[in-house]
Amino acid sequence: MNIFRLVLFVALLVSSLANVQDAFADDFKWRGFISQGLIQADESNFVDDHKDVSLRLTEVGVNASYRLNPKFRIAGQAVYLNGGNRYTEGVRVDFLFADIQIANSADWRANLHLGRFKNYHWLYSATRDIPHTRPSIILPQSVYFDQFRDVALGSDGVALVANTSNSLGEWDFNWSFGASPISDKQARNLLGDGAAGDLKQKFAHQANLVWKPASGVFHISLGFLDSEFKYDQAEQDTLIDGRADVNRIMIHSVYDAQDWQFAFEIFKERTIYKDLIAPGFINDSTSEGGYAQFRYFVNNDITLLTRLDIFDLDRKDRDGRIREAQFGGFVPAYFGFQDQATLGLSWDFTKDWRISAEVHRVKGAGRLAPLLMPDVVTNNSKYWNIYAFQLMHWF
Amino acid sequence: MKGLTGRLARVATLLLLILISHAVVAQEQRVIVIANVSVTTTELNSNQLRKIFSMRQTTWPDGQQITVFVLPANSKAHTKLCKDILKMFPYQIERLWNKLAYSGLGEAPIEVDSPEDMKSKIENTPGAVGYILSSMDDLDDSAIQIIGAE
Repeated sequence: MNIFRLVLFVALLVSSLANVQDAFADDFKWRGFISQGLIQADESNFVDDHKDVSLRLTEVGVNASYRLNPKFRIAGQAVYLNGGNRYTEGVRVDFLFADIQIANSADWRANLHLGRFKNYHWLYSATRDIPHTRPSIILPQSVYFDQFRDVALGSDGVALVANTSNSLGEWDFNWSFGASPISDKQARNLLGDGAAGDLKQKFAHQANLVWKPASGVFHISLGFLDSEFKYDQAEQDTLIDGRADVNRIMIHSVYDAQDWQFAFEIFKERTIYKDLIAPGFINDSTSEGGYAQFRYFVNNDITLLTRLDIFDLDRKDRDGRIREAQFGGFVPAYFGFQDQATLGLSWDFTKDWRISAEVHRVKGAGRLAPLLMPDVVTNNSKYWNIYAFQLMHWF
Repeated sequence: MKGLTGRLARVATLLLLILISHAVVAQEQRVIVIANVSVTTTELNSNQLRKIFSMRQTTWPDGQQITVFVLPANSKAHTKLCKDILKMFPYQIERLWNKLAYSGLGEAPIEVDSPEDMKSKIENTPGAVGYILSSMDDLDDSAIQIIGAE
């Protein structure tokens, strides 16, 4: 989409939403964001195959909610994204659901969400698409694998969001069951260009429990995910019918101090591929990953960030050498992991404008697409870097 | 003798400065929570206020919907509300509101530009709650100041 047409479209939309808000007063609420950046991933296809400096770091979105009565609300958000190879370029509806309050007392509150809702279970999953709510331009790829963004962002189905308080502190419980549509382009990004068939997520089932003690300085969450994918072979296809089962256990925690914040998120994920490559083929492996992140608030406007992110595709083959041998040396060992060190700086130069800049030093290519048939020609370096700069505005 | 007079003058000046600084402290404004006349709750502790301003509690005990108004994040009143009443860092509550607004999970509070706007909105919105800076010393920390016509 031409950037000028996009800006014109957003301006018209904002003007219409302002009129609607005037008509419905406080029951209708809307917000938006727009951002543009410069990004380069040298020696990898993370952003572009050509590896040069790119403008493909555009994120624009508008969300709105309308409350019909104290127990019923509708909320939705549409975004336009261009992230190069990171995800499919274009407009998508991130969420659109009915929010029904099923319990509300002094100690308990529970809501059901029906429709397309976001993933509420990971630390940044519910706002990963909103530039100014992220700690960095690029999120840690071990957990927030960009190629899987649209599948992991949310589901079409039903979610339960409940919270309560007692003498131990505050408790949040989130449960969801649904599935995400997967486009043909996404399927090819994940499985390789030769995948002409139909990839579907049959279901994603998630739950997590969050505890925040009365002091409020930290919270900790324990979560689970169970999901199944199905692949139907096309007439001309390099793959055959197959399926993948994914189980994940996750823990995340954040400690907040006046001038600094420490966060970590770790997971263990078992994936079983059946058939897909050849009849009777089975690959059962467990990947592990996570990150530790420290942010220092220099003042109200300037934040420094440092983070170490680690991902091993198979916990029994952390250096990737077994996989390299299985592929007859065709896939280098460094496709078996991806470790990433990040330094970042962000400056809120007004109350609704921010500039961020960051640099990532990466070892390995375990989180570069495609997954099943790695691009060993473009990603021919074990070490590579990401340089990113982003200007963002929210309203 | 001259030296003694000088020392006395310095002590007197010091005492005067201490007295003035005490007077300034006594007049320092504190943040008070204000609510619309329709709100029947008259006292809330820090935990209850934290639930309301973090949007975890969205209705009053009598079932009336709560509408939360807030001042800009960089205002003194907002900083004092977070620090003195909610016992939170301002960036913590900002993160909660962003999550609510941008995930669709809930609604963020409505931001008003000035204390005058705040008072006007609270007076005219049933179920509304907000805060302003005040020099009133006779209110308990947990008291809510009800404003608006009886």
